[in-house]
Amino acid sequence: MNLNINAQKAQTFDAIVVGSGITGGWAAKELTEKGLNVLVLERGYEIKHVEDYKTAMQDPWEFEHRGKITAVSAEEHYASMFFSAKEGSQFNFTNDKEHPYIQKRPFNWIRGYHTGGKSLIWGKHTYRWNREDFMANAKEGLGVDWPIRYEDLVPWYTYVEKFVGISGQAEGLDVLPDSTFLPPMAMTAPERHFKKSVAQKLNRPIVMGRVAHLTKPQPWHTAVGRASCQFRNRCTRGCPFGAYFSSLAATLPAARSTNRLTIIHNAIVKEIILDDHAQKAKGVRVIDQNTMEVREFYAKVLFLNAGTIGSTSILMNSKSARFPNGLGNDSDQLGRNLMDHHLAVGARADIEGFEDDHYFGARPGSLYIPRFRNWGNDKRDYLRGFGYQGGASRADWARGGTEPGFGADFKKKMTQPGPWKMSLTGFGEVLPDPNNRFYLSPDKTDKWGQPQVVFDADFSANDRAMRKDIMNDGAEMLEAAGFKNVTTYDNPAAHMGLGIHEMGTARMGKDPKTSVLNKYNQVHTCKNVFVTDGSGMTSASNVNPSLTYMALTARAASYAVAQLKAKNL
Amino acid sequence: MNRREALSRVSLMLGGTLSAPTLLAFDRWSQTTPENRKTGASILNEEQREVIARVAELIIPKTDTPGAIDAGVPAFIEVMLRDGYTKSVQDVFLTGLGNLAGKGLLTASPDQQTTLLKQLEANALANAKAGTVSFWQLIKELTVWGYFTSEAGIKSSLDYQPIPGKFEAIKIKPGQKDFMYGNQV
Ligand SMILES: Cc1cc2nc3c(=O)[nH]c(=O)nc-3n(C[C@H](O)[C@H](O)[C@H](O)COP(=O)(O)OP(=O)(O)OC[C@H]3O[C@@H](n4cnc5c(N)ncnc54)[C@H](O)[C@@H]3O)c2cc1C
Ligand code: SF4
Repeated sequence: MNLNINAQKAQTFDAIVVGSGITGGWAAKELTEKGLNVLVLERGYEIKHVEDYKTAMQDPWEFEHRGKITAVSAEEHYASMFFSAKEGSQFNFTNDKEHPYIQKRPFNWIRGYHTGGKSLIWGKHTYRWNREDFMANAKEGLGVDWPIRYEDLVPWYTYVEKFVGISGQAEGLDVLPDSTFLPPMAMTAPERHFKKSVAQKLNRPIVMGRVAHLTKPQPWHTAVGRASCQFRNRCTRGCPFGAYFSSLAATLPAARSTNRLTIIHNAIVKEIILDDHAQKAKGVRVIDQNTMEVREFYAKVLFLNAGTIGSTSILMNSKSARFPNGLGNDSDQLGRNLMDHHLAVGARADIEGFEDDHYFGARPGSLYIPRFRNWGNDKRDYLRGFGYQGGASRADWARGGTEPGFGADFKKKMTQPGPWKMSLTGFGEVLPDPNNRFYLSPDKTDKWGQPQVVFDADFSANDRAMRKDIMNDGAEMLEAAGFKNVTTYDNPAAHMGLGIHEMGTARMGKDPKTSVLNKYNQVHTCKNVFVTDGSGMTSASNVNPSLTYMALTARAASYAVAQLKAKNL
Repeated sequence: MNRREALSRVSLMLGGTLSAPTLLAFDRWSQTTPENRKTGASILNEEQREVIARVAELIIPKTDTPGAIDAGVPAFIEVMLRDGYTKSVQDVFLTGLGNLAGKGLLTASPDQQTTLLKQLEANALANAKAGTVSFWQLIKELTVWGYFTSEAGIKSSLDYQPIPGKFEAIKIKPGQKDFMYGNQV
């Protein structure tokens, strides 16, 4: 009897955080720093910061396939081939063969099932959303209105930015609000020329990409063991300097230093256990991914940070008499309004006239062109807008693979820097649509007996119309700079998921009848469950979302602790 | 939508950024070679190995710096052929090797060898079609890749900067070697 009580006690915490990725790391840090005993459950295997970045320091010749993907790994990691087609980082992307899902309509689900989640492989572009982003739905009568406004997030943006460390430059633009910055990275000579020409001829600002890399570490960065960026751009192999923001380098060490953090790996959270009488969650049921052993853990408050699809799946899988269609799903919005950003569309050009200009170092990051369509006086026949990431660089030796010629002269030529080229890729806003959704398969399961996710979503006519402008406006800017051989592209195979910003499947809103979460990312009808990853997003903006997820997580954690203290949870 | 379709869509996405041989490497389903081919016998015989070495050395010859053979390129090509390509692409490659041997590449004079490769390149360029790959394209890309990622190739031909420590726009002198950063593989 005693034994059982002790076991139960050992499995009981103040808070449980599901997932150790970008948002789970933040939940762990905030909750432990505010005095809670926190259990982080991570479905993937353990990666130890620095120690386990096995390829980070490897030289090119040390890879058996010299960085190229083999046929076998291409099949196993097919969803992420677009981003990870390198030998030194493929294992940081989830194996799709082991973790299958179903595409009723094409969708690439790119994941990182391990400590740190996608924080190990993300692109680190970090932008605040703007005032309009939080009001557009209400103005246009689309989806539901956000229950919060930009002003609600400002102190939280500032708070997380300082800890994250974002390099960039203040520009004073409404469309792209400034963050708290470390020094920006440099532009190359053709990029400076491009920025100047586009400002003069088209009156559009171009800014240096704002990326979560330490260009000038502050004491609170070095305190958790982080150092300055070395400009190697081998980031997806893991950064031994802790120079880019990841859970591994930043939030988890901060949480660990409180001595109130427990992390359990290989723990696939299957469902939430509901306390039928109190209409609250009691804990979670977990499957060990190696031993298949099922265990339960208990806490007063739960934070779901398993990534948008992961967290929403857990809610869907948590069925009870009170919630026959999934926890908190009275509105039937769970799994709906799946959004992403659309990309694989843009423009390219060759650049002449900068032959003696080059750069030293490999910059992890690019230029950013903020939204200018449907902004201010500009009006289009589609809704919302897009921005671009891109930049100019010199072709390297790899051009020799497709350039004609061979022999001694050819060899010599490939040892010299190649021609400058510029490329711009648009990231466009996708609108919320209840018919863009995912659900759990009624009969197909994975090897842990968990239902497979079925994706059923696609771009809309609005998205397709926007893509035309992305191409044409990109070309117009490259021409304004006098660049040569300007071409546009819109990849016909582009589909959802490849924007790598999936969100919206448990949206926030004011009304429990039409939304799943309230303004504190709290499940409307099950108050001690918080979902603070991309699930809660009510619309998608056109800028990268993770900074906003982080700000929402820190805000929700602070609220949750206050509510716990007030005995409301 | 099955995995095969999904993968070919991704390959299509990659169209702009990767060359045809790399793309074809992604399509594994048509392959009939065994999964355990890494442990199996080599698919090349001695003559085929010699043709590979000869062609690679013609593409990147030894000059005042090491050539393809010094840099171990032939062995790299063999590994990539084994692990990176489908059976149908391997067959294209093997046929290409056979044709060159048949034309007497191994016994030809250096000038004749160069002429043979020039014809091969011209034919490959003239017949290039999206979604297909020629022997020339394969061996060319593999040779360049193998050479400029080898220790000998990098250290002799490029200015290798594994940890640059900073990023800045600079001016270069005519003839200056290009930088190589570890992220290029
Ligand atoms: C290649 C790439 C580039 C990107 N670039 C950018 C960028 O430049 N800027 C930007 O803002 N965003 C970018 N993103 C998106 C960004 O990575 C995500 O928005 C962010 O990681 C989301 O954080 P998260 O905590 O919700 O999920 P994740 O970081 O994915 O973490 C989720 C964690 O939960 C775990 N988990 C999942 N299910 C369970 C379960 N059932 N039980 C237990 N644990 C579970 C996972 O293993 C994982 O560790 C990029 C994404 C990719 C793939
Ligand atoms: S570029 Fe900077 S952040 Fe990326 S791996 Fe190198 S040091 Fe780390």
